[in-house]
Amino acid sequence: MITCADFIAELGNYMDESVADEVRVQLENHLAHCQTCQVIVDSTCKTVRIVTDSGSFDLPDAVLKPIAAEIMAKIRSEQGR
Amino acid sequence: MIVCDWNFGRGKIQVNVGYLKEAGLGESFQPFSVFREYFGFVPNVFLAQTLLPRVIAAEAELARAILLERRCLPQILKERMLLALAAGRGSTYFIGLGSQVLSLLGASDSKTDLSSQETLLVDFTVKLGTRSSSISRDDVERIAAGRWTNESMLEAVLLAGWGNFLCTLSVGLGAEPDFAAAPHVATTTSLDIVSAERENFGPYLSAKEMPSDFAPYAFLRDNFGLVPNVFQLQGLSPATVAAEVEAMRLILLTDDVLKRKQKERILLAVSASNQNTYCVAVYAEILTLSGVASEESYQIAADHRQAGLSELDRALLDFAVKLSARPEEFSREDVESLRRHGLSDEQILEAVAVTALTQFLNTVQQGTGAVPDFAPRRSFRLKIGNKANLSSPDSRPKPEEEPPDPDAELVQKAQAGNLQAFEVLVEHHGKRVYRTLVGLLGSPEEARDAMQDTFLKAFQHLAGFQGRSKFSTWLLRIASNAGLQRLRERRPMESLDDDGPEGEEGFRPRQVRAWTDDPEQLYSQSEMRSLVENCLKKLPAKYRVVVLLRDFEQLSADDAAAALGLGVPALKSRLLRGRLMLREALAPYFAKSPTGVGA
Repeated sequence: MITCADFIAELGNYMDESVADEVRVQLENHLAHCQTCQVIVDSTCKTVRIVTDSGSFDLPDAVLKPIAAEIMAKIRSEQGR
Repeated sequence: MIVCDWNFGRGKIQVNVGYLKEAGLGESFQPFSVFREYFGFVPNVFLAQTLLPRVIAAEAELARAILLERRCLPQILKERMLLALAAGRGSTYFIGLGSQVLSLLGASDSKTDLSSQETLLVDFTVKLGTRSSSISRDDVERIAAGRWTNESMLEAVLLAGWGNFLCTLSVGLGAEPDFAAAPHVATTTSLDIVSAERENFGPYLSAKEMPSDFAPYAFLRDNFGLVPNVFQLQGLSPATVAAEVEAMRLILLTDDVLKRKQKERILLAVSASNQNTYCVAVYAEILTLSGVASEESYQIAADHRQAGLSELDRALLDFAVKLSARPEEFSREDVESLRRHGLSDEQILEAVAVTALTQFLNTVQQGTGAVPDFAPRRSFRLKIGNKANLSSPDSRPKPEEEPPDPDAELVQKAQAGNLQAFEVLVEHHGKRVYRTLVGLLGSPEEARDAMQDTFLKAFQHLAGFQGRSKFSTWLLRIASNAGLQRLRERRPMESLDDDGPEGEEGFRPRQVRAWTDDPEQLYSQSEMRSLVENCLKKLPAKYRVVVLLRDFEQLSADDAAAALGLGVPALKSRLLRGRLMLREALAPYFAKSPTGVGA
């Protein structure tokens, strides 16, 4: 019998669909009646979606341009030596 | 001091035979007759429960059905099975009792007298009683190959359940041994070696049609809304089903000592600690029928200490889980602790009895291989997102099919000394380098400095870049190393590479309330952005950087592993841990409230 700990250990591979068919069947049998793991899978997928779409840590173009210019200035000055 | 003289054949004994207070039940207390008939006297484990006569009555019903009325196996074999289980569990109390019963039957307690066929059944009972979650179809097939019938197997399952029931009672009650126990070596079963590819799913027995008016089933339907499969699979033994249902009625479905909800929570928490997902599913459903929010039920199963229970209810579950999962650590102090929380001895006794009954039901479920009764609460099938990192390996480009690096031409020009080409590369990749660095370092100013370092280093080493990976992967590797190096300098004591005290193993999700269907609708884009940023900062750096490369920068597992100089399995392990930690941090913002309305 697959336990919740077993399920969570395989969760990454399950999300990647990189588990063997027989393991997937066991995982899905567990999932079918374990609401805790259903919640964990659902909320982990949502976490990835939220993180990916959040636009966090974005650097506006207006800020990038001067930084890029500064980097290139340093490179040119290094080259000029 | 109350003294009883009805303890047949063993002279007078004082009543305090365990941790709890006791009451004087008269010699005529009818349930005791069952124990006298079987053991020749009333063992202390039952005398220690006189505060709640209905609990003893429930146990007498089980003893009658399992020990006296089940006649499929010879009594000597049954006693040897129980004794072997007592030894396997290290129960001094039951080793003494079992040895005495065998001696009264004129049999030795040596395993050497057993035939190989009998040994199969004894070993099965010990394995089921001591490591029930490892029982598999292989074990059941061995029993069948030993020419044991389904009836014999069911009897072995019931004996294992009964043995676990009594062991739990004796530990929880602190029952004084009735007899001195001879040293008994724990049994090593011949079933220890099982195939790694075993089929673990039952059922191992066939359900038997019962008449529609079979009273125990009607009782279960009336009280729980269904006849759980675990009872249907015991159709070969209607008397045992009737006794189990009666025991549930007397021990669980009463509200006069502990509340029914408190007892159902014990069922759930103990089943969860036994990793019995079937019983967790059934009892969670039953708790929901009792009016407990399903989220609370599943939080209790995941970690009762995080379920928002009162201090007293939490202490009660601590007590029950310790008694079932770590009986060797259980002591009088655990009883005293519940007394300090204001629980009466009657309530503590009932908590012990409910824990023991849960052990019985869990063992019987594992032995019968009962499958879940419920269809999934919602149809659940992982929906693969459209993100690169959630795509299947098959759908990902194979190495030989990988498109050429889109930056190859610019890189070649830059390698030939074309600074304008390198400037385009900086502008193309500046944002992702910055994202990775600010995600790692937290400070925008420091991230900008590290970004400069990254591109300067890339330029210096550009001649050595041979295109074995994409330029973007190579660049992110430099960026990650630059960020991690700054973190090391900032906190030299923090290990960024080792697992440290909290290894990859053992991370246990604690937030198990369901999330709202459309979490993005709860907050504005800018609120979501800062929420993610703040939550990501809480992750240790070694997990943070993996999440940044895979989920922010959408690198494949191979590329992210290459960027960090890790093997793919290590990267995947850290990614899962990082995502789960991030999920944990985000959960309070997106989990449905207990009333089912949004967060």
